[in-house]
Amino acid sequence: MLIRKAERQARRGTLAAAFADQSSGGLDRRSFLRRSGLAAGALAAVGSLQLTSVRKAEAGPPPAPGAQVTIRKSMCTHCSVGCTVTAEVSNGVWIGQEPSWDSPINRGSHCAKGAAVRELVSGERRLKYPMKLVDGQWTRVTWEQAINEIGDKILDIRQKSGPDSVYWLGSAKMTNEASYMFRKLGAFWGTNNTDHQARICHSTTVTGVANTWGYGAMTNSFNDIRNAKTQMIMGGNPAEAHPVSLQHLLEGAELKKANFIVIDPRMTRTAAHATEYVRLRPGTDIPVLYGMMWHILKNGWEDKEFIRQRVYGFEDLKKEVEKWPPDEVERVSGVPGEQLKRVAQIFATEKPSTLIWCMGQTQHTVGTANVRASCILLLLTGNVGKPGTGANIFRGHDNVQGATDVGLDIVTLPFYYGLVEGAWRHWSRVWEVDYNYLQSRFESKTIMETPGIPLTRWFDATILPKDQVAQKDTVKCMFVQGHASNSITRIPESLKGLAALDLLVVADPHPTTWASLAVNAGRKDNMYLLPICTSFEGSGTRVASNRSIQWGEQIVKPIFESKNDSELIYRMAVKFGFADQMFKNIKVENNVPVAEDVLREMNRGSWSTGYCGQSPERLKAHMRNQAKFDLITMRAPKDDPEVGGDYYGLPWPCWGSPAVKHPGSPLLYNTSLNVMDGGGTFRPRFGIEREEKNADGTTRKVSLLADGSFSLGSEIKDGYPEFTLAVLKKLGWDGDLTAEEMAVINKVSPTAPDTVSWSTDLSGGIQRVAMKHGALPYGNGRARMNAFGLPDPIPVHREPIYTPRVDLVAKYPTLPDAKQFRMPNIGFSVQKAAVDKGIAKDFPLILSSGRLVEYEGGGEETRSNRWLAELQQDMFIEISVADANERGIKDGGWVWVTGAENASKARMKALVTERVGKGVAWMPYHFGGWLGGQDLRGNYPKGTDPIVLGESANTITTYGYDPATGMQEPKVTLCQIKAA
Amino acid sequence: MARMKVLCDADRCIECNACVTACKNEHEIPWGINRRRVVTINDGKPGERSISMACMHCTDAPCAAVCPVNCFYTTADAVVLHSKDLCIGCGYCFYACPFGAPQYPKVGNFGSRGKMDKCTFCAGGPEADNTKAEYEKYGANRLAEGKLPLCAEMCSTKSLLAGDSDVIAQIYKERVSKRGYGSGAWGWQTAYRENIAT
Amino acid sequence: MAKLAVQIRFIAVALALALMLALAAPASAQRVDPNASAVQEQQLLKGLSTIQGRGSIPDVKSYTLEHPAGRDWRQFHTVWLKWIGGLAIIGMLAMLTIFYMWRGRMRIEGGRSGRKLVRFTGVERFVHWLTASTFVILGITGLNITFGRALILPWMGPEAFSAWSEYAKYVHNYLSFAFTIGVVLMFLMWIGQNFPTAADIQWLKAGGGMLKGHHAAPPAYKFNAGQKILYWLIIVGGVAMIISGFMLLFPFYYGLNVGDMELAEIFHGVVGVMFVALIIAHIYLGTLGMEGAFEAMSEGTVDLNWAKEHHSLWYQQEMQREARGKGEPMVTPTPAE
Repeated sequence: MLIRKAERQARRGTLAAAFADQSSGGLDRRSFLRRSGLAAGALAAVGSLQLTSVRKAEAGPPPAPGAQVTIRKSMCTHCSVGCTVTAEVSNGVWIGQEPSWDSPINRGSHCAKGAAVRELVSGERRLKYPMKLVDGQWTRVTWEQAINEIGDKILDIRQKSGPDSVYWLGSAKMTNEASYMFRKLGAFWGTNNTDHQARICHSTTVTGVANTWGYGAMTNSFNDIRNAKTQMIMGGNPAEAHPVSLQHLLEGAELKKANFIVIDPRMTRTAAHATEYVRLRPGTDIPVLYGMMWHILKNGWEDKEFIRQRVYGFEDLKKEVEKWPPDEVERVSGVPGEQLKRVAQIFATEKPSTLIWCMGQTQHTVGTANVRASCILLLLTGNVGKPGTGANIFRGHDNVQGATDVGLDIVTLPFYYGLVEGAWRHWSRVWEVDYNYLQSRFESKTIMETPGIPLTRWFDATILPKDQVAQKDTVKCMFVQGHASNSITRIPESLKGLAALDLLVVADPHPTTWASLAVNAGRKDNMYLLPICTSFEGSGTRVASNRSIQWGEQIVKPIFESKNDSELIYRMAVKFGFADQMFKNIKVENNVPVAEDVLREMNRGSWSTGYCGQSPERLKAHMRNQAKFDLITMRAPKDDPEVGGDYYGLPWPCWGSPAVKHPGSPLLYNTSLNVMDGGGTFRPRFGIEREEKNADGTTRKVSLLADGSFSLGSEIKDGYPEFTLAVLKKLGWDGDLTAEEMAVINKVSPTAPDTVSWSTDLSGGIQRVAMKHGALPYGNGRARMNAFGLPDPIPVHREPIYTPRVDLVAKYPTLPDAKQFRMPNIGFSVQKAAVDKGIAKDFPLILSSGRLVEYEGGGEETRSNRWLAELQQDMFIEISVADANERGIKDGGWVWVTGAENASKARMKALVTERVGKGVAWMPYHFGGWLGGQDLRGNYPKGTDPIVLGESANTITTYGYDPATGMQEPKVTLCQIKAA
Repeated sequence: MARMKVLCDADRCIECNACVTACKNEHEIPWGINRRRVVTINDGKPGERSISMACMHCTDAPCAAVCPVNCFYTTADAVVLHSKDLCIGCGYCFYACPFGAPQYPKVGNFGSRGKMDKCTFCAGGPEADNTKAEYEKYGANRLAEGKLPLCAEMCSTKSLLAGDSDVIAQIYKERVSKRGYGSGAWGWQTAYRENIAT
Repeated sequence: MAKLAVQIRFIAVALALALMLALAAPASAQRVDPNASAVQEQQLLKGLSTIQGRGSIPDVKSYTLEHPAGRDWRQFHTVWLKWIGGLAIIGMLAMLTIFYMWRGRMRIEGGRSGRKLVRFTGVERFVHWLTASTFVILGITGLNITFGRALILPWMGPEAFSAWSEYAKYVHNYLSFAFTIGVVLMFLMWIGQNFPTAADIQWLKAGGGMLKGHHAAPPAYKFNAGQKILYWLIIVGGVAMIISGFMLLFPFYYGLNVGDMELAEIFHGVVGVMFVALIIAHIYLGTLGMEGAFEAMSEGTVDLNWAKEHHSLWYQQEMQREARGKGEPMVTPTPAE
């Protein structure tokens, strides 16, 4: 088409006029500032203004003319920051993503993954229908056929080997409701072999932190870090793993001119923004932390009053710290004493200080001890329970905190009740099923109260001789609903497990490496793939790292033949014949249990953790009123009719029934607030006093309750134990209980109502009355520097199983071999053998692993997302310039990486960089689909192979398990690299 | 009339690539075309900085100057746009661009290029605003909807600022004075022949 | 050269930076403060012509963050190339016009003999016209890129001009292969007759006889020194155009960066306009400027007298060859003429 020049000029004129209307006039300064995401300092005032002049959103592919565009809100399904995702939906199609300005957590922002989530539901590479492996070929089956066949096979295994031979591997990607039901499914099935990703990310955090002060979660929030004067990140790279959190960290640091200290073996993207970067040898966190404490104690920088009032075990700690003078710390960790002294001084004196960590601390054989040492540093400097302080533990998946809370775990029933008889009885009351019925589902009462097998050991539990696995039989069936296989260490060993299983079921949006590796391992049949939808295709809650619970709406219906997690759980329960019992109080619509009902059931049973006040109605009101919450305190104005006084997402604990209107607790253990404003104390979870030995052999009793410290407005001005009816009576407060509440208490324990406590009282009356008097339902105790009961009550440095510093193994050996979680842990023998064989000579480089911003977890989902996959197309290994030069390795060239076990090898590209120091190599762990240089693309069902495949880091990783949790060791092993 | 500019505060940028995927998402950009990208300078060394880069919408844009068919035009908001109907895919704008912004789909044999594609400041192209035709050629037209570019709106750390020149310069100035350091308004001297005095 | 200078500057700056770091090291002792040592854009730009970094997508040219040198290229392309091209082409046309007005058409002194001598075989003519025709098209389509926007677009209008230019681009790209073949064949075919000889010196001293009066054409073999110079210019220029052209046709292949591409374009542009000017002169001499020259390429034969006057030594060679009875150089006029 030819037009004359003049016409085109005219068109431009129109365009300019359009802009004059829309962009200049239409976008005033205020709305502009808001859109620019500016809410710092003087500009903060505009933070909550609404855009009034903006037209209705209709970006993305323009909707068909006349089609209605609706906005639906959910949360990003990737990390645990909890970013709100705002979706534009037209005709059932998700056509665009808009910034979620109103969320106090992400304020419009996303990272690469969050900005690309819309792709997940277009799903070109998703599993589209159920499939089954028939004689080595993937064959389509119907859902009905799949459920029937799987159910029959599982029942058959139960018949032969007992319920514990079926392993229920759940997911931190499920909604909270689905995670809860998955755990409940395990309970009704009769096993504690139910686990999820927390095992391999923060199980050591949960154990270490809970054993210190009561609850195993992030104490403060991303937003609260803005209050810190010193931010110390040790063993974390939030710039890549939790990018949106950096908004709070960096902005906070800028406004406060705060110290931003990064301690990490790698000079990461986070470290690039540090005011001080400390490089340590991987696996020496405890020496470095003790090195800091050594300077603190020597100079008297510790918070003496805080320790006196709220800490137990200080003297025991001092003895251990004395072993770590600066030269020993430098000898072991490589960190110079002067630098450490400066860091220690800043951390202890420029307060409030917060310590942030992630998997750099947790994924070790000494993970629990690392975490404990971090907590101790916080206690020593009085940096817990105040704004700007705390253990800010950045969790991994979007609902890993929630899935942990709801007990999708091997050591506890939902909400940390444990596995003792009392716990089972509590839950049988909540579920309204007979305790004896539940017990009958198990092989025995003993195994019912015995922790299950950690997911890290599933293949050991499959291939080890029967007598080494402490249950009736070895694991015969893996029922995997939303968990990668390539994020678990020792892939070469896991292949044997994949071949040995009687049945393998993978329920996931993608076939995952379970499929490609199982085929590679020689599986020909008895394997099923069930398409599960993402959390965007269903509704329910998810819990962010800061314990805020957010309600996600269904954005679109499940695509293809995929079903949501809850539906599969329900269908399995139906197949097994206990659906009527299990879903007694939960409405089921079209085979999908109603999320609201599930949440209400959780509310009714979760007194121990304060999940009791977050009714679906309250949570939905929060999503409607996101803009009303303050950026820093996360609190809504008290006078708001719907969410007045609440903290965003009612971060647990949110005590009492929803009617009590507890606002949630944004900061744990914060004594400067009244309990009804979210205040708290340390939880006396390990008794109220302890017998200690004196030097002369006599004993004395030491109190584990706080001394002279209490939360604001408490009528008890000292430490106190957890509340029971007996305690209420002693205090004369039992009269405050209503008749209805007393009736429920009597029903809970008709024989001994006095023993009914704040956590078992289904009426919530005991909690209500305690709070009425300003007291914390769980009591007011001391945090423990000495966590008696753990393998190392005071953290002890122990060299990694595979260490290049064989000279240190004699002095700092790993713990002796032992039986843990039904399995042998032979770490000591492996370490000894490695030293004896001189493994470190052949494999001189330390191999560590971690995250990339573009991918998540095992990575099959994100590597199938075309927008993300394009950004990281090759598996690589970071190697220092010096090590690369010695080996003639070029940046971008192919290399072979060989590992210390199983003659493992992997082919990938070299990234020659100064991010890593000499002697250290690093890999991202999100890749999969290659094995030992071989491309396994053909092993995926057609059209479901991720766009990008690559070698898994865990092909090279080795043996090593934390004794307290079964955590694997992907952060320190040994390897060799040569040019390919 | 607003003068739209882009500013990447490198002291905030963490190379999270949200800007890149936000752009892909908003405009359905195909594989291989990178309207926006993040480059890291001094990678792995203390002093490392990452910068998100795309078309800066230059004053007196070099692409427009060298275009043999004069397919570029500047809107009243100083956004540099082009017409894919006129573009012949010669590649000259890439040589002239100081920021590597122009992208070309590979079409046909040899190195022959299709119509150039680049950042539009989420302002579409010459077609009528928010029509299917405009979307298919240039992507969404957020500016016409009273919204700013999605890359900046979704930036994880609010590092990337896009909008009225005076406002973003003011924001940057305030930030630098508050925190006491700033590695500069990357590209401004080259693109706009001016810098932000901090 | 420019590149070399850039490289030297790069090394110097790198050394200076290294020295600065080395000097700074003792003062900071063990303190590693990444924020305080952040790279500054202005410092980088002072030292280097481009700011280079790391990225993860395969497109390595995207790792160049800033390339302010693009501004220099823009200056060349929009200003200098137009001047150079304009001056070369208009200057050449002006010179030829003046020459023509001064000397008029060079006639065959002895008039046409009516007898013809075979000057170029069919193969030779094919190769010439292959090269010539593609050159003309390449020249026009090439000049369009530089001058079309100013000269043609205003009266053609943007849509038509873009359509034409796009076809022109494709034609330019594809014909480059034919042109390449032409240049290669021409090189092989005529190289034997284009080595310099003693007679060339005389010819050059006499200025080819073009500046003086009649009967002054100095002796020459099949190709006189002027033609030999033209031959070598065409070969060298052609190869230069081909290499730089293929660099532009296969952009960023073999690790070429944007700076290399700009250099290639500058080279292609400057050599191109010079080439066009040169060929204009060649066309003038082969057609309007000299009677009896054009038929050498159109029909392959020349008049005996023309040969005697302009290529006396070649004429003698051919006569001797004929005397020895080799070949059939003499042709009678075709009846139709």
